[in-house]
Parts: sequence; structure tokens; C-alpha cells
Amino acid sequence: MNVLIVEDELSLAREIASFLKSENFLCDLAFTGNEASEKIAVNLYDFVLLDLGLPDYNGLDLIREARRDGSETSFIIITARGAVEDKVKGLDLGADDYLAKPFALVELLSRINAVARRKFNIVSQDISLDHFTMQVQARKLICNETEVDLTKKEFDLLHYLVLNRGRVLTRRQLYEHIWGNILDDQYDSNFIDVHIKNLRRKLNLHAPSPWLETVRGVGYRVSSD
Amino acid sequence: MVRLKTKLSLFNLLSKLVFTALFLIFLPWIIERINLRQVDNDLIQKREKTIDLISSIGIEPFISSDTTGSFGSFNILKEEYISLELIPEGGERNEILVSDRTIEDEVITYRVLNYTFMADGETYLLEIGKSLETITEGRKSIYRIILGFLAFIILITLVTDLQYTRIILKPLKRITDKLREISSPSKFDRAPVRTSTFDFATLDKALIDLMSKIEESFRKEKEITVNISHELMTPVSVMRSKLENILIQKDIGEETAIRIEESLQTLQRLQRLVNSLLMIARIESHQYLLEEKAEVRSILAEITGELRPVTADKEIDLKEEYEDDGGFGPANRPLLFSMFYNVVNNAVKNTFQGGTITIKIQRVSGILRVVISDTGRGMDQEQLSALFSRFSSRRGNDENGTGIGLAITKSIADLHQIGISVSSSPGNGTEFIFIFPENS
Repeated sequence: MNVLIVEDELSLAREIASFLKSENFLCDLAFTGNEASEKIAVNLYDFVLLDLGLPDYNGLDLIREARRDGSETSFIIITARGAVEDKVKGLDLGADDYLAKPFALVELLSRINAVARRKFNIVSQDISLDHFTMQVQARKLICNETEVDLTKKEFDLLHYLVLNRGRVLTRRQLYEHIWGNILDDQYDSNFIDVHIKNLRRKLNLHAPSPWLETVRGVGYRVSSD
Repeated sequence: MVRLKTKLSLFNLLSKLVFTALFLIFLPWIIERINLRQVDNDLIQKREKTIDLISSIGIEPFISSDTTGSFGSFNILKEEYISLELIPEGGERNEILVSDRTIEDEVITYRVLNYTFMADGETYLLEIGKSLETITEGRKSIYRIILGFLAFIILITLVTDLQYTRIILKPLKRITDKLREISSPSKFDRAPVRTSTFDFATLDKALIDLMSKIEESFRKEKEITVNISHELMTPVSVMRSKLENILIQKDIGEETAIRIEESLQTLQRLQRLVNSLLMIARIESHQYLLEEKAEVRSILAEITGELRPVTADKEIDLKEEYEDDGGFGPANRPLLFSMFYNVVNNAVKNTFQGGTITIKIQRVSGILRVVISDTGRGMDQEQLSALFSRFSSRRGNDENGTGIGLAITKSIADLHQIGISVSSSPGNGTEFIFIFPENS
């Protein structure tokens, strides 16, 4: 997929690009609003990651222009301004999602994938984990034809780990994905540990779950095979 | 508080009553003065007539030797009398006075004119009297008429005054309504109130100008927090992405991975600190609007829902005793959520395994109260007094906390005019009581 990263902070744009390239995206960079405007007009992008705080342009105008020209590009706003109005305005103008800086790169990836699934009507496939099967559409975890009784948060946690299979997720990345930034001040790494502990206990009632790994000092991972 | 309209009407009524009373007190005196003057004029006219008559027909028809030097006449009802008398020389008088006369065994008060004049070389005293009894009678009826008329006038003017005050004060009412309706300066109706009263127009204009200025300064403050947020978060964001990119490299080794994660955690502390300070700044500059009704019960239930896995893990008994739904407004629900969350989460952190946390909603004589108590480690006096100040490193070795959570709680409570009282002693747990404003 083609992604245009519109971000005036060069090193951040490069980091995002480097990460997305490793996820097999084709990345293009624009450091100013004018540059972005030209690139959007000429090229077909699946996604535009848009920083609203551009020096020469109101980022929201880029969405307006693109929509006026009938572009079907999906916009994901990334901004450090943290004003709720920006979020509301952006989504009203037809942005597909909104991420506040600083965000986790895996979170960005997960948002892009979510938008892509909606956009291309992709039905999520069931995922197999040893003895378990995750029915993503139905939001169920099945083991030997029995449903594992998970809370919404436990399912979300597991799903996020499964989506990032083979990659370590830090407690904070997990926390932010489930709870957002609302409880930022009170974030407690213990939270995730408690939920993982409960999750493991419930899984182990049905079958062993060695694939849900603790990575010492870093976080948790669902192993890749 | 009394409305201006009522005050003005009351004053109107009172001043009218006072003036009427004064008028009524002086009225008899005034009427008497007027009456006496009239009587006096009448008497003087009669005197002129009599003198004219005497000078044309002479004094003889009135006084001759057989009348022993005096003449008197009064009408049948004794309302008036006239008398002529020969008096010794040298007793000239020209005066009008009130005096009692006994006529046929009846004492009657007369206004009497005394006048001496010369005729045929002799001095005569002319006395003309007019009874004051008739005057008193007339005065009473005049008094009644005036009273009736005054009462009528007062009633009429009172009604018109009321109407007029209402009409004239309408623009003022519209201005106060405008002020009462708004929850923030940006909501102020900028359309000027229609009025022909200079003062109201000035007031309205001043208010509109003031609101624009306040809004402008709010906007600037907001812009500043937004800019600070942008300036601080962008470098944090760059660092975070770089560290995360390093962390996902396959070949970095365990030790490096742990160090990177620790750096990420440190970075997060910085981020959280900035966010918390910005949040307090936003709360204190009223960037959060209070414009919804919140139910404290559902907020607390949501919080306990979030925290129950943790309390269950620590074997803490989390009790909820809700006597009331705790409807409260105007409020900002997300802020109230943070306010309570910080306190409940603190309680969870500071309560030992097997302890108890109790959350109560009460309504004590109409006033909503939320009590959050724990059996945790408690605080000493020093910790307690520094509880709500930013960065007080209370409760010591908490790696995750920035020590700012309760400062946020306090500023949210202040915004909602919620009072907080805390009691605690080391080893005996802590109790937070939130006292909501009366009108909630």
C-alpha cells in the first residue's frame, strides 16, 4: 500500500517511514503543506498520515482539497496539539482516524490496518493459536469447540498481541491500545500484568498457552508459530 | 434577592404614601388659611361697602341720640353680624381677629373685623363678624373630596408606574437573562439589546466588549497550551519512535532491549508530566466546559469496573454502597471520572493485600457526598498537608506516579465547586470525602 507521510519534523517522518517500510508499505514523504498538496494531486495514495501543525499550511485544508478533488485517499491525522476541536473537525472533514502524539508505531500500524479493512471490506480471517482459534469477526476465542470466557478487555489484549504476532509489545503499548490516553496520569504497568495473568489462567483451563510469552523487562509477545 | 422592578415600585409606593401623609397633615392648616383669607377679603369688602354707605347717607340712620351711641345687626342664623359703636377718641383700631361672642346665650366663634373711623367729628368703631362654624363644615367636605381624589390618583399612578417601570426595565431584564443563560463567554449573545435608555445601551455594550475580551484572552491561553503541547510533544514523539524502532530490531539482545524499554518508560514519565500540567492549565483556564448532567453512580461503577481485576488480584475487598444515583450538573463527566479515578486508584495502590476499600454515595440533608475510604497505609500530618500540591512526593517510592494526580483531582473539584476533606493517620487508612455544592 502507498502511504504519504506529511510531517514537518524530519526525523519523525523518517522513523515512521522506516517502520512502515519494514511492514511492506511504500512510503513517500512531504515536509511542507505545499509539497503534500502537490503530491496528493499527482499520486494515488491509499493513506495520508497528516500532521496538522504544518508551518505553511493548515493541515485540515489538505483534507478539504483532497475531498473536493474527489480523492478517495484515507487520512489519518497525527497531531501534538491535543485539542479536542482538532479531532472533531478532522473527523468531520472526512479524516478516517486520529492519533495524538506521541503514539506507538504499532498503534499507528493497527489503525492503518483497521481503516484498510473497513475501506476494502476485508473480512478478518480466523486465527489459529495452537489449540485455540480466534474468531475475530465474532470476537470469540474457541478451544476444542468450547468458548473461552474472556472479558472484553482480555479479548482486546489478546487480539492486539495476535495482530502483532512475533513482536514484543510493551506494557504501555498494550495499555494505550486498550485504554487510550484518558488515564494517562494513572497508568500502572501492574494493570496489564494483572490482565495477562487472568488471561493465562483462563486459557490454561482449556489448554496450555506457551505461545503467550513474557519477555523479561520489556513486555509480552505471542510467538510467531 | 429583590428584583429592581419590585424595589422601584415599592419605593414609588412608599414615597407616594409619605408625601400624601405629609400633605394630609398640612391640609387642614392650608384649608384654614385659604378660608380665613377669603373671609377676611369678604369682611374688608363689607367694610368698604359700609363706609361708602355711611359717607353717602351719613351716620344718623344708624346711630342717633336714642340708640345710646351704638348699632347692631345680625342675620337670623347668626352667621354674620355688624355693629357700630361710638367710642372715646384715641382708641383707633384696624385689625381682623378671631373672637367668641355670646349672642342670645349662644357662644359662637367669629372672625371679627374692627375698624375705627371718624364721622361728624366723633370716633366710631365698626365691627363686622362672620361665623367660622360654616367654614368648619365646608372644610370637612373639602377634606373628604381631596382624600378620595388622592386615593384615586395614587392608585392610578401606581398602576401606570408599575407598567412603565416594567417596560423601561425590559432591556435590563434581557441583559441579565443573557448573562444568566451562558456557561462560557463564547456563548454570550453578541446581538445588542434594543433599548432607548442610554445607561442600558452602555451597560450592554460594555458587557459585549468585555465578553469579547475575555473570550480573546481565553483563546490566547488556549493557543499557548496548544503550542506548548505541540512544542514538547513533538520531540518526545521523535524519541519514542526512534526507541520503538530500535526495540523491534531482531538482533539487539536482551540487555539492550531492557534498557530501551526503560528509556521508553522514562520518556513516558516526561510525557505524562507534561500532559498533567497541561491538563491542570486547561482546567484552570476553563477550557473544559461544564455543560452536561453527570451521574456519579455510573462514573464510580465504571471506575470500579476498571479496577476490579486489580483489586481481585490483590485480594482487596472493594465495597460499593450507593444510597443515591448522585445526579449532578452542570458537570464535565470525563473530568469527574479522572477526579474520582485518581483517588480510587491511589487507594488501590496504597491498600495492602486483604484490605478493604469502601466507596459510598450519600445524600446528607440534601447534600450529595461521596466517601472513598481505605484500610491502607495512611499518611502522617506532613504528608496530608502537602497532599494536593503538585509534585509532593507523598507516599514515597511510587515509580509510576508523577505525584500530580491529586493536584488534578483538586483542580477538577474546584472547577465543579466540590469540596474535598481528607482524614488519615499512619496505619489507619485514608478517607476522602467529596462534598458537592448544594444546588446539585
